[in-house]
Amino acid sequence: MTRSATRVSFRPGELEVHQDGSGNLLGSRCQSCGAHFFPQRGICSGCLGDDLETVRFSRRGILYTYSIVRQSTPAFEVPYALGYVDLPEGVRIMGQISGCDFDEISIGMPLTLSLEPFAEDDDGITLTGYRFRPVEAAIA
Amino acid sequence: MPDVHVVGAGMTHFGKHPDRDAADLGAEALRDAIADAGIGGRDVEAAYCGHVFQGMVTGQRILANVGLAGLPVANVENACSSGATAIREAALAIRAGEHDVVAAIGTEHLTSRFRGALTPDESDPEAAVGATMPAVYAMRARRYMQEFGMTRRQLALIPVKNKTNAARNPLAHFHQEITVDDVLQSRPIADPLNLHDCSPVTDGAAAVILMSDRAARRFGDGRAVRLAASALRTGTVDVEPTSMTFEPLTWATAKDAYDRAGIGPDEVDFAEVHDCFSIAEVLRVEGLGLFDQGEYPAAVERGEADIGGRLPINPSGGLLGKGHPLGGTGVAQVVELVKQLRGEAGDRQIESARVGLAHCRGGKAVGIEGAACTVQILIR
Repeated sequence: MTRSATRVSFRPGELEVHQDGSGNLLGSRCQSCGAHFFPQRGICSGCLGDDLETVRFSRRGILYTYSIVRQSTPAFEVPYALGYVDLPEGVRIMGQISGCDFDEISIGMPLTLSLEPFAEDDDGITLTGYRFRPVEAAIA
Repeated sequence: MPDVHVVGAGMTHFGKHPDRDAADLGAEALRDAIADAGIGGRDVEAAYCGHVFQGMVTGQRILANVGLAGLPVANVENACSSGATAIREAALAIRAGEHDVVAAIGTEHLTSRFRGALTPDESDPEAAVGATMPAVYAMRARRYMQEFGMTRRQLALIPVKNKTNAARNPLAHFHQEITVDDVLQSRPIADPLNLHDCSPVTDGAAAVILMSDRAARRFGDGRAVRLAASALRTGTVDVEPTSMTFEPLTWATAKDAYDRAGIGPDEVDFAEVHDCFSIAEVLRVEGLGLFDQGEYPAAVERGEADIGGRLPINPSGGLLGKGHPLGGTGVAQVVELVKQLRGEAGDRQIESARVGLAHCRGGKAVGIEGAACTVQILIR
């Protein structure tokens, strides 16, 4: 296997990437009160407990709101769709939306996590990041 | 608890100043405030300087420029609330009995630091997936439109109002009145927000001179305005997703300020609020309890927030019209409150205003509702 075939997470503390192309967002769950956090935290803001475990979040969520971004930093090619997705664990995750036309996006639509090439590191290695896709598009 | 008074207020022109820097602008604002207070430079005992991107010891460079190097000075960074936080620190130093005359300065030479959309710090997980500040507010606007039925035209009335006010403010970044169609036809930035929905990249500085009761009696000459409250809060980490169409942080900070001032929101005569984007003004005034949730867009349509209306909002032009030099903004809001409460606001004067409120809110970090929020109440 060449090195370029190895999938590398763009931010390993937040996105776990498996070699089969799947992956999960990582967060924390407070073992005292059950609150979930993204990104991972060492102390629970709800109960101040410090016994938090790393958890893999559900891949599916509901779109809370979104925008089509038409001006951004040089790191991102515009336009792109950006949204907040509510996961069943009770966390809201920001991510880009892919796999559909902009006019097909609507508040409340179900989306699923999609691992996609997202950036390159300083050595030119492609880094895997995440976007969210409509559930139908992900199945097809 | 000893009172604190604003006795001097000054600011530079807000706009693009390619030949200047943050220390130079800050020095001009400070000299203006010292002159307005009717004191000499040597009467100032300490200073606090709010800025975001201007590098180390900007406050010291300002004092050196006005011949006052040597005083105790602290530089304060709290994102867009930096200048307001400097005022709070100055007020605390007076309340603690440490000083009687303290300067608070806010400055930013933003055009030399940023172009286009501001973003959270690059270490932030949301910045890593493409967050920009306009995009975050655009998402809040879209959700608000869905929940409360606000129309795009109603939202456009906010930049129209604020740029109308700015046209009456000689120190504002913009002096041209605009129409709803101008807003709708301006360049798309992050749907549904267009260029006129966004505050500009602005250079500028403002300064105030705060005094104890004792010093205000000596120097005030009938022009002192009481700083009845200066509240600061920071956002909490969400333990569950919260509404993005209401601002618990703004309300919590406002409640601290109302309690300290001994008033309720119904006693506020006018306000300068942090309208970094058109939708932000909606969220701020409703979060402050000045208008019921979901009702501000219709109130603007009825003219209630105009300078001649029931409760004028952003008579200076706000961030949308006057401009938004990050560190300078919170101090400039208080400068406007002072001018209005003294009856020195010229063409944009609000009739018989007695209670003014200033609100700042800034910064973005993942999972936190808002990084820093300030509410100041001035009573004549």
